[in-house]
Amino acid sequence: MFYPEPIERLIENLTRLPGIGRKTATRLAFFLLNTKDSYITELSRSLTDVKEKIRLCSVCFNITDSDPCAICRDERRDKSVVCVVEESSHMMVIESSNPGHLRYHVLHGVINPLEGIGPDEIRIKELQDRIVREGIREVIVATNPNIEGNTTAHYIGEILKHLDVTITRIASGIPVGGDIVYIDPLTIKSSMDNRKNL
Amino acid sequence: MSLHKDEAFVLFKRAYGESDKIIRLFTRTSGKIAAIAKGASKSQKRFMNTLEPFNYIRIEYFEKSGKGMARLENADIIETNSGIEASLQKACTASFFTEFVDRLTKEKEPHEPLFLALKEVLFAVKRHMFSYADILYYQFLMLDMLGYMPNFDSCVYCASTIPNEKKVLFSKERGGILCVNCARFIPHTVCGEGVIPGLMSIINQEKQFANIIFERQAQDIMEGFMSFHLDVEFRSYRLLKSFIL
Repeated sequence: MFYPEPIERLIENLTRLPGIGRKTATRLAFFLLNTKDSYITELSRSLTDVKEKIRLCSVCFNITDSDPCAICRDERRDKSVVCVVEESSHMMVIESSNPGHLRYHVLHGVINPLEGIGPDEIRIKELQDRIVREGIREVIVATNPNIEGNTTAHYIGEILKHLDVTITRIASGIPVGGDIVYIDPLTIKSSMDNRKNL
Repeated sequence: MSLHKDEAFVLFKRAYGESDKIIRLFTRTSGKIAAIAKGASKSQKRFMNTLEPFNYIRIEYFEKSGKGMARLENADIIETNSGIEASLQKACTASFFTEFVDRLTKEKEPHEPLFLALKEVLFAVKRHMFSYADILYYQFLMLDMLGYMPNFDSCVYCASTIPNEKKVLFSKERGGILCVNCARFIPHTVCGEGVIPGLMSIINQEKQFANIIFERQAQDIMEGFMSFHLDVEFRSYRLLKSFIL
């Protein structure tokens, strides 16, 4: 098929997006071609704004359009507790559960030797500096409960143990509303290990 | 399309699309296979916790004869990776040997001794922290199984026996030690006293190292040899190296 050069270029650029094949890209290109000019202007402005205005918060390394970010500026939050997460999207999920008082530290990855990612490739040194600088008393490590997340959590625990700070790990076990019959042995074991008093 | 049942170690996992995972497995009877696990990122039933690197699992998968990626149907844990995450050094060691097997084997080439060697390494890593001698021992074991073992017995070029001398000449290109005559026209490095006997003692499971200088020399020899013959840069090795020496 031979489309005019601008359409072909648009299709090519859309194909570079994750999960978009040539067929979907063509459909999107023709949608954009037939849509109102005002929408195209708005779309292109928002794309430019994302690149121009979004940066990392100098305190917690969350993505933000103002530095420090809104969470770090919020005086009502407890400054002595920091929740360590892998990505900004994980922080948003925790924030949506309305924990209220937390402040965060975004690592932007996890330790993964199979991919050649070590502690120096993520924001662990910055976490250490921040704990000392801000006098943080508790660090909640909320990385995923998989091999990479657990390795990162243990490493954080190891390098912070000489500081006067409590290090906690988010619990893992049977999900709320789950059925014990369908839970795998590893999760059951974790639930038993992390049981709490009633 | 036929259903296969096997045991395997998870070598590598990667998220694919919204909810799938692509994994590489080293199976007991079929060697390395790549497989897609549909819905693995969301499924609470079939794959929960099972497709993590270093896990020892029992699998069922469909495979079209000839080509294409296998489709993983079920996976159950035989032994988890639990314990490896307890220290970064353990995670790096397990990663190195997993990557070693992953990068130096071809798909669908069965190699049960190598499977058992990987099993031994991963189980041992959980139990104790590896020294550099331990790492070298398993490295030699796997190199031997894969046909890359360096020759420390006799001159690699003329096969003559080398007298017990203080300094031994090693050629990374030829993959072994050299006699004085052959060393005149073959590029080589001069190994310090006791380095080659030290490496031999590790191969023979005596696993003793004299000192840090000896370890560094042994490391230089192995790095030069592996980089020349395998032509593979192990991503996990850089991190592992920061712990072992």
